[in-house]
Formats: sequence, C-alpha cells, structure tokens
Amino acid sequence: MRPGAVACVFALMALFTGFSADQVRKQAAAPADAPSAAPLIYWSAGVETAEALKRAGIERIAAPPDKAEAWRGAGFKVVAAGQAEFDRREKLLTPRIAGRADVASATRRPWIDANGWRFARNPAGEFYYDLPQGKAAMAIAEAFAYNADAVLKIDPADLTEAGAMFAFIKNLTGENYPLVADIGVIDDKSPETGEVMNLLARRNLLFDVVAVPAPQFRVNIKLGSKEYPRVEAANPSEFAQKIRRRLGDENRSLRVYGTETVICRLTGDGARARLSLLNYSGRELGGVRLRLRGNYGRVEARAFGLARVEPEDFVNDETATEFSVPRLGIYAVIELKK
Amino acid sequence: MKRRTFVQLLAATPLASTIQAKGDAPKYKVVTPYKPAAMPGMPGPYPGKVVSVKSAKCLSEDGLKIDGEAVSEMMERGMRALAGDAKAIDSWRRFFTPDDVVGIKVNAGGRPWVVSSHEIVAETVRNLTAVGVKPQQIYIYERFQGQLDQVNYAPSLPEGVNIFAAERANARNDNQNYDPRVYVEADFFGEDDTRSNMMRLVSQKLTKIINIPNMKDHGATGATGCLKNIAYGSFSNVARTHNRGVSHTLSFVGALAAVEPLRSKTVLQIMDGLRGVWHGGPFAPTLKYVFFPRTIMFGTDPVAIDRLLLDVIDDERKRRGAISIWNRDEKTLDFNNGGDRDKDPNVNIIIREPGHVEYAGNLGLGIHDKREIEVKEIEL
Repeated sequence: MRPGAVACVFALMALFTGFSADQVRKQAAAPADAPSAAPLIYWSAGVETAEALKRAGIERIAAPPDKAEAWRGAGFKVVAAGQAEFDRREKLLTPRIAGRADVASATRRPWIDANGWRFARNPAGEFYYDLPQGKAAMAIAEAFAYNADAVLKIDPADLTEAGAMFAFIKNLTGENYPLVADIGVIDDKSPETGEVMNLLARRNLLFDVVAVPAPQFRVNIKLGSKEYPRVEAANPSEFAQKIRRRLGDENRSLRVYGTETVICRLTGDGARARLSLLNYSGRELGGVRLRLRGNYGRVEARAFGLARVEPEDFVNDETATEFSVPRLGIYAVIELKK
Repeated sequence: MKRRTFVQLLAATPLASTIQAKGDAPKYKVVTPYKPAAMPGMPGPYPGKVVSVKSAKCLSEDGLKIDGEAVSEMMERGMRALAGDAKAIDSWRRFFTPDDVVGIKVNAGGRPWVVSSHEIVAETVRNLTAVGVKPQQIYIYERFQGQLDQVNYAPSLPEGVNIFAAERANARNDNQNYDPRVYVEADFFGEDDTRSNMMRLVSQKLTKIINIPNMKDHGATGATGCLKNIAYGSFSNVARTHNRGVSHTLSFVGALAAVEPLRSKTVLQIMDGLRGVWHGGPFAPTLKYVFFPRTIMFGTDPVAIDRLLLDVIDDERKRRGAISIWNRDEKTLDFNNGGDRDKDPNVNIIIREPGHVEYAGNLGLGIHDKREIEVKEIEL
C-alpha cells in the first residue's frame, strides 16, 4: 500500500474519531488493505448551509473547530481544521493551464500547473488547495487520482460540481495496485529535483521516488551525479527531454497521443491496471489515444460528467495495447485486465 | 478478416544534400493498413503535365470580384486540354464514376482573399454531378470548422453536398475524426505527441479526392500549393514541424502526401490561381500582399504544378523587391514574430523550405525537373 493511501486513511479515521488527521496518524497504524479515501472539502460556513451540502451529496467535510460539533450534530462526518492545520499543510497550485510556454511558436506546448509530482514526491504529505471558482472538481480528481491527503478550500458556487465529482469517485472500485514507473528519481529534496519531477510528470514520463538506484527502472536519476550534473537541471524541460531520449519512447509504459494537456497516473499488478487521466485543458477532448505496454484484453472506461464512454479502435501488438477514449472531460479512469 | 498493417520506414537522410533541412533530418515511421492502387492518383496518368489557363476576365479589374462564367470556361478548357477530349464531360468521366464518394480538399486558410474560390468549387461540384455523382456523395473538406464557417461554401452548392471539418478549431481538442490506424510518427522538436493521423474521412469514406489549393507564399515551405494543401490539410498535428526558425516541412510535406490511401485517392489537382498571396502566407487577411495571376492550373501531378508555383511566387516577390523564397540568410530571420513578418516582406519567421517540392518528387509523387514538365498554356 502506498504511503499516500495511508495518509488518506488517517483522514478517514479522523472523521469518525473527531481527532485531526495528524492526531490520528500519530495514534494509529493503517490497515494494510484499506481503500483510499476521498479528499475533503473545507467548509467554513455555518450549519445553516447544511441543506446545500446535502443537495450536493456531500456528507464529509473539514470545518473550523468551533463549528465542527454543530456540523456533526447535523449528521455530517467532520474533521476539525483550524488555521494551524493549513499552516502545517503544503499549499498546492490550482490545477489548470497556466499559459503557453512558446506562445508564438508552432508547437505551442501549453504550460500546466499540476500537483501530481508533489504527491509522488511526498506520498505521506498533507496538502491543501485554495481554489478559485470552477476548479473544485478538477482538484478533487487530481488529489484522488494520486491518493493524496488533501483539503480543498472551494468557491461555494462549485458545490454542485464538487458533489458530482465525489459521487463519481465513490463509484470507482478500490484499487491498491503498485505504481507503474519507468524512471527512478533519487530525491535530494532540492527545488531542482522537484522541477525535474514536475517536467517528467508533465510529459507522462512515469517515475517513482526511490532512495537508491533501483534495478527495475531503465533510468535512475540522481542530480549531481556524473551522469546527471546538477547544472543540466537548470533547464528542466531540456533535462526531461534528455531523460526521455535515454529511456526511449518505445520503452515507455505509457504514451498519450492527440493531446498535450492530459497527465496520467498508472498503477498495476501485471494482470490488471488502472490508468487515471486528468485533463487540464478546461475543455472536453475527443479521441485521446493511449498506448500501454502489455497486452490487455479487457478495457473499461469511466469518464466524469459524460454518459458511458466506450474505448474504441483497439490495436494489440506483441508489446502493447492501444485504444482511444472518444470523449474526455476533466477526469476519466480506465480499468484494464489481461 | 483482419487487415495486415504495413509499416514503412522512411529515412530522410539519403536525399541530395541540396535539399537537406537544417540540422538532422527526422526519421518517419509510416503506419497504414492500405495498399496503393494500381495507378496511384499522384502522380496519376499525366505525370509532368500541367495545363495553365489564364483569363483576364476571371476577375474584375480591381481583382475583388470573380466572374463565374469566365471561371466555367477556364475549367472546361483546362480539363479538356488535360485529358485531350473534345467534351469536358468526357474528361471528368476519366476520373470519376457515379459510384465514387468524392472529397474536395479546399483551402480556407487564406480567408478572405485567397481561398479556394466559391466559383471553382461550385463548378467542380457541377461537373461531378454531371458525371452522375450525387450531391450526398460529395464532401467539401478542411481541417478546421471555424475556417469553413467563415468562407461559407454552402450558398454556392447544391443541396445535399457535405461540408466537413475534422476539428472545430486549430486548438487540438478534437481527434476523433482522425484515423488512429493511419499515421506518421516523428519526433521533430521533442514534442510529446509524435503522431500525425490521417482524417478518417480520407482513409475510410472517400474513394477519390480533388485537390483545390491556392497560389500562396508560405513562411515555412516557401510556397504552399498542391502538396502542402493535401498533406497538411488531411493530417492532424502538423504545425509541430516548424519551431523557432527551423522547419521540417522539407521532408514532412512529401512524406504525408505519399501515405496511402491519400496518395492513391487524390486523382485531380486544380490550382486556384485567380488570386494569390506573395508574402505573409498562408494567410491573406488584407489585400496588402495579394496579387492577381488570373490563372487556374490543372493536372494530376502535384509536384509539377508546385514546381511552377515556386517560380510564380518567387517571381512576384522579386518583382516587388522582396527576398527570394530560397533565401536562407539567418539575418532575415525574426522567428516567431509574425507581426514583423507581416510588416516587412524581407523578414522571414522561419528558414523556408521550397525544396519540399523536389523532395516529394524524389518520393515518386511527380516530376520536379522543369525540363521534363510539359506546360500547356491557354489564354482566354
């Protein structure tokens, strides 16, 4: 079980005990097979707004300590979260396209603010979002996809959309597959290494954080080594490109075609896999093409906000499975079985 | 029965050094399950043959209005001269049967002044229906719906003709209308998405294609005519070939045009040269760089027509005192600055690659050597 999932379990247990997630973490050891928990909405309004939350289908919240008991009395599962809680947590970026890196160039690769690399770097971390209107559902999906312990301050206008996202992830089956990665990153906790992780994630170059070079990965990165001088990381985009070339596109566990605004997380146990697709573009995408190493015979897709989405145009060759997701909103989960 | 997938590997490096792109030429992985026709449409039955019909009457004196009757006459004379028939309908019948599903690849990028003109498109449709092709079997197509909406061909066409775009806009949100089984894969500048896929309309629905490009200058290719219109206009994710002053259009235009079934299905080239743009292309938002060749070219060989086009554009540029499309001086380069390029015809945003025409010739798409090109000129 990933440490990130453990963190979420702490948050879940906190709901029932009334302790903060941190207190729970200190008091309890998580069960090995516990399912991942959803992120938490921080709701600072009083209990008179309970109807709005119920209409949105939200039953669990984080609330200011002085209001927590009242919310519990109204039938909600509540984690008390004061300012100290947010001071302790790492603040995340609003997930979105932040602009175009090469705005006048023909390639026009968009710059994406995404937090997956932060979750990957610190699976036991505690995080929070402070979100503008329109971003709650995306942030919930992002945190859930990475099993992150995250509290979300949302715009009240997003309550319905947030509730819909919670309903969507509630219906996803639990999974505890190991992370699938092609690259090991030895984290020296430096900002440069963090930016390298950001750019790897951005390019769907799947990585895991390791303490020492791991033989299962084709590429292991340790900044400051002879192979990867720290000076090279001054241009993290070029550095990520160097890693990509060293790995070789043909050896990647995952390729994404037809978009440069979707970031994926892949877990799997060899026989089954789950692929989470996070679409940061803010627009519905059509015909996202995916190529996964391995020969999968059964592929099911669930896409948030859309009616049933059937993967199509399958191609299986000796090494990989390819298919298209005909429509993609902000979040989809693909379950694969061999 | 499962079709066999043919994988071709085209390496750009073996070609003559005179047409080498700047830096290393990319490798292309071409994936398509389609086999070539016995006689691929390009270069088709008339390799190296170009009929060029010029009419002073086709435009008003100021060039702003098109005379439909003059265009009809140019079309009739051009098609007859190309195929050698007494009646134009017989020439059209050489290319099309009533069973065909025909795509007309227009160019709507140079709106409003230099696009495939309503009159030529309408006359093409009229001839197809005369052959017996039903309007419902005709598809006017482009990549972007927004461009087609602005040009608005519908009022010029019979009811039932389809107007189709693969994407709503040039924003890379829509890929469902591209065929995931037909693509060219290449990594030009480290882009994440390394595939360019053929439109499903082209690979799966159409049986024949008529290509109606314009006479246009192009910042990356030098000039854009038959080859680029059919290649970049039938595949996704192609703008990635030029970046920061460097363009891989030299090899990619021909590589795409040669992919089956596009190559086999594209049977007729009608170059709309009523108006042209000699700088700032492929766009023509104002009349600043628009000129008036008053010409339509006909052929089946896109390379031969485009070889002539290179001279048309370059001659016009010389006449206006602008640098040649062959100029590779980096001092002219102000990359990624479209504003400066639009102000000054001696500014390039990319080192142009007019050698893409020769490259396509070397791929077998047509005749590039002018000494081997037979031009039949008709002046009305």
